[in-house]
Amino acid sequence: MASTGSSSSALEPDASLRPADLVVAVTSHNDARSIGAVARAIVEGAGRSFESGAVRLLHADTGSTDGTREALREVIPAGSLVELPHQGGFGGGMPYHGDPGRAHALRQVLRVVQETSARACVVVDAAVQGITPEWVDQLAGPVLQGRADYVAPYFSRHAWEGALTRGIVYPFFRALYGVRLRQPAAREFGCSARLAAHVLEQDIWEGERSPAGVDLSLAAAAVCADFRVHEVALGARGTARAAQADLGTTIAQVVGALFADVERHVEVWQRIRGSTVVAVSGTPAALGAATSGVDPAALVESFRLGYRELREIWARALPPRVIVELRKLADTPAAAFRFDDRLWAGIVYDFALAFAFRVMPHDHLLRSLTPLYSAWLASLLLQVGHAASADLDARVEQVCQAFEGEKRYLISRWRWPERRR
Amino acid sequence: MRRAGTSHDPRWYKDAVIYEVPVKSFYDGNGDGIGDFIGLEQKLDYLQKLGVTCLWVLPFFPSPLRDDGYDIADYCTINPSYGTIEDFKRFLKAAHDRGLKVIGELVVNHTSDQHPWFQRARHAPPGSPERDYYVWSDTEELYQGVRIIFVDTERSNWTWDPVAKAYYYHRFFHHQPDLNFDNPAVMKEILSVLDYWLDMGVDGFRLDAVPYLVKRDGTSCENLPETHAVIKAIRAHVDLRGPGKMLLAEANQLPVDVREYFGDGDECHMAYHFPVMPRLFMGIHLEDRQPIVDAIEQTPPIPESCQWALFLRNHDELTLEMVTDEERDYMYLAYSQDPQARINAGIRRRLAPLVGNDRRQIELLHGLLFSFPGTPIVYYGDEIGMGDNVYLGDRNGVRTPMQWTSDRNGGFSRADPARLYSPLIMDHVYGYQSVNVEAEESDTASLLYWMRNMIRLRRLFTVFGRGTIEFLAPSNRRVLAYLRRCKDDLILCVANLAGSVQPAELDLGALNGYVPVEMLGYTEFPAIGELPYFLTLGPYGFYWFELQRPGA
Repeated sequence: MASTGSSSSALEPDASLRPADLVVAVTSHNDARSIGAVARAIVEGAGRSFESGAVRLLHADTGSTDGTREALREVIPAGSLVELPHQGGFGGGMPYHGDPGRAHALRQVLRVVQETSARACVVVDAAVQGITPEWVDQLAGPVLQGRADYVAPYFSRHAWEGALTRGIVYPFFRALYGVRLRQPAAREFGCSARLAAHVLEQDIWEGERSPAGVDLSLAAAAVCADFRVHEVALGARGTARAAQADLGTTIAQVVGALFADVERHVEVWQRIRGSTVVAVSGTPAALGAATSGVDPAALVESFRLGYRELREIWARALPPRVIVELRKLADTPAAAFRFDDRLWAGIVYDFALAFAFRVMPHDHLLRSLTPLYSAWLASLLLQVGHAASADLDARVEQVCQAFEGEKRYLISRWRWPERRR
Repeated sequence: MRRAGTSHDPRWYKDAVIYEVPVKSFYDGNGDGIGDFIGLEQKLDYLQKLGVTCLWVLPFFPSPLRDDGYDIADYCTINPSYGTIEDFKRFLKAAHDRGLKVIGELVVNHTSDQHPWFQRARHAPPGSPERDYYVWSDTEELYQGVRIIFVDTERSNWTWDPVAKAYYYHRFFHHQPDLNFDNPAVMKEILSVLDYWLDMGVDGFRLDAVPYLVKRDGTSCENLPETHAVIKAIRAHVDLRGPGKMLLAEANQLPVDVREYFGDGDECHMAYHFPVMPRLFMGIHLEDRQPIVDAIEQTPPIPESCQWALFLRNHDELTLEMVTDEERDYMYLAYSQDPQARINAGIRRRLAPLVGNDRRQIELLHGLLFSFPGTPIVYYGDEIGMGDNVYLGDRNGVRTPMQWTSDRNGGFSRADPARLYSPLIMDHVYGYQSVNVEAEESDTASLLYWMRNMIRLRRLFTVFGRGTIEFLAPSNRRVLAYLRRCKDDLILCVANLAGSVQPAELDLGALNGYVPVEMLGYTEFPAIGELPYFLTLGPYGFYWFELQRPGA
């Protein structure tokens, strides 16, 4: 058996659900290759920071078939691990790629938090790369010290990494909910028992969008109920899980989940103006200039093709003025290609409205956003693609301000959808 | 945590938008000419899209239908014309699946004279428990001086029964004998009726004719302490079944008397506010806010858990019982110059015909309904501006089939038109050929679209259902202005009751620095300063403003 990496384990040797200070859960889906390293980091981290028996370690697997469970058992002593049963099948109406049982898994984890009267919970995905033992304390510490109810990671990323979060999720989340949470859909987080109890009562667990969006919904539920939010700089994040979905599917899943939350919290976000900074623990790793393998020219061409093929669909979601702007953009040479931030914010809002008012099947609508997103990403890369992280942050800040500025338009049309600009 | 305004909130009724729907009139699912539960279930998507959150289903029990179903012959099953218990259960589940609450009717002041209890009573010996289910007398002398409600059709509250060889008491029609709540067996029966429907999942009941339950000689037989004791017992029984079940009192009384039906929060959860409705119409016709302000300001405070139910129109006449003689005369002259439109102490017209089909007045009245303290009730068909037919007798002119399309029978039924339970509205202004759901669905400027948006907007702000109201006093009495306040929400409502453009100078000095944001278009107006805030309102125009804190 492999070493646990700690001579005085903080893990309770008896895996029954007795009281604990901290619950640490590893979520997995066919992660046999990476789960061992993740588990070793967690065990070592728990051992360094917590007293013996203070931590309950859970494994919430979502139906792995590659020996993930067995790989974990090689690392964690059998009696020190609570393995949660997984839920089979996925009944959603949309083609799904990824981790279909994640909502169920997280729900079980949070129930264990309640059952064990734990003060805090840390969730780590088994596919994550770059984890260190410090993550446990970094994610749990602000909760256990009473400074936060929700602790999100702040991973350092290049311009081409996590662009969907930078271009849509973060600006949209920030503008609507008024909290500058940079990575609200992260699969690693810490949360308090109070927040766990709150989200268990929310209607976020069984919807069509839940499998892909439950992490995002959890963050949205936290900020909409005024729970204290904190970020912790954890360096760079890699993943051992190969991308299983094409860009269109990813957009449909992530943006669909984002939009589904909009309807859920409508009476909250329509009252919020501006946004507040979230405190960050640690210093985000500064990434130097680097070259990506993403070709802006190919993205622009993808947009042009989309304009030719999807314009009629876009016209059902977007006002005429925007279609005219897109035509101009499609005619712009790649070298001068710039996607105006306000135009982009308005487009995302119009898609959110079309989603809410069901102007067409959700999946068709969301997938038709792909060429527009490609155009925005191309524009971003052409401007800052090779820049250092500080320049990138400044550029993303401009995008966010555009989303905050255009929020009035979203509210206005939400309240009177027949009104178009 | 249960969020206010959701269907999980035990006080959901405080934020609800209720839709009053008669089963027979809404949609005929089996093609026999009469609306039914199969049809109602098929139209739930329409109701969900409209944005209402609760369906108040008018009586659907077996009945001779001599009072539109308020003459019940069996409390624990469905009128066969409307379907079966299984149909009802399917409808109820489908409504709940959509987040819609369903409340039914508890008509327990009286039954039909066809009810087995009455048939048994009239054959039972005097003094027997069976006989005592109802109120009997050898003469008409008992309860002298008690007013007659249906003055157009009833000469006395007593009717001779040749079988029983005694008079029986009836506060409404002579074919609706009053139950005797002094008999414990009656109360037991009523509680078992409650249990039957609560077990099925019904979310509450409208308690019909609630002031008249207990009778005492030498009194008006209205609002008696013994009646309140009965209601408390009903409420306690309902509470035993768990939270979230609602009782709505129909007490057509002055607010000070209606207030008693809330008790200390231990009688009804809701009660209709009858006086405010005619005064809304009066205020607009007079172009003067005073009748409306008076009606609201004379409303006594109610327990925090309770709520007023507000409405513009319903299945009955626009009742003028709770206005002064002078006001009644004015209302008759203003709104029913055709004597055919008058019935009992009221006017049997729908909303649109009452205001001459003036879209601006219809919108203004709904703007007031949705922004006054209470829970609004929308009468079926008023969301599309349906008309009426005052020549159909009784109040049947406002109970005609829902107009879905311009096709045969207005899309209400596939039956031979001769089989319909009622003729449709067919005149050239309100006829189903022009006023129907399908047409309004395809017209984004229609009243239906407007109603959907307004209902959705109201639901965004729990202040409308839960907040306080504070009237402003602009010098122009054609302008009605008031603040609604609840926790952090502060809303300013301003309405022009006149058919011409009006200026308004509002004293908002206490809110210096606040920024009014017009709620329908989310348009920011100039910040409030020290000087009076000046607005211009178009004919029958109204604004709702969110007042945003300085620097927020």
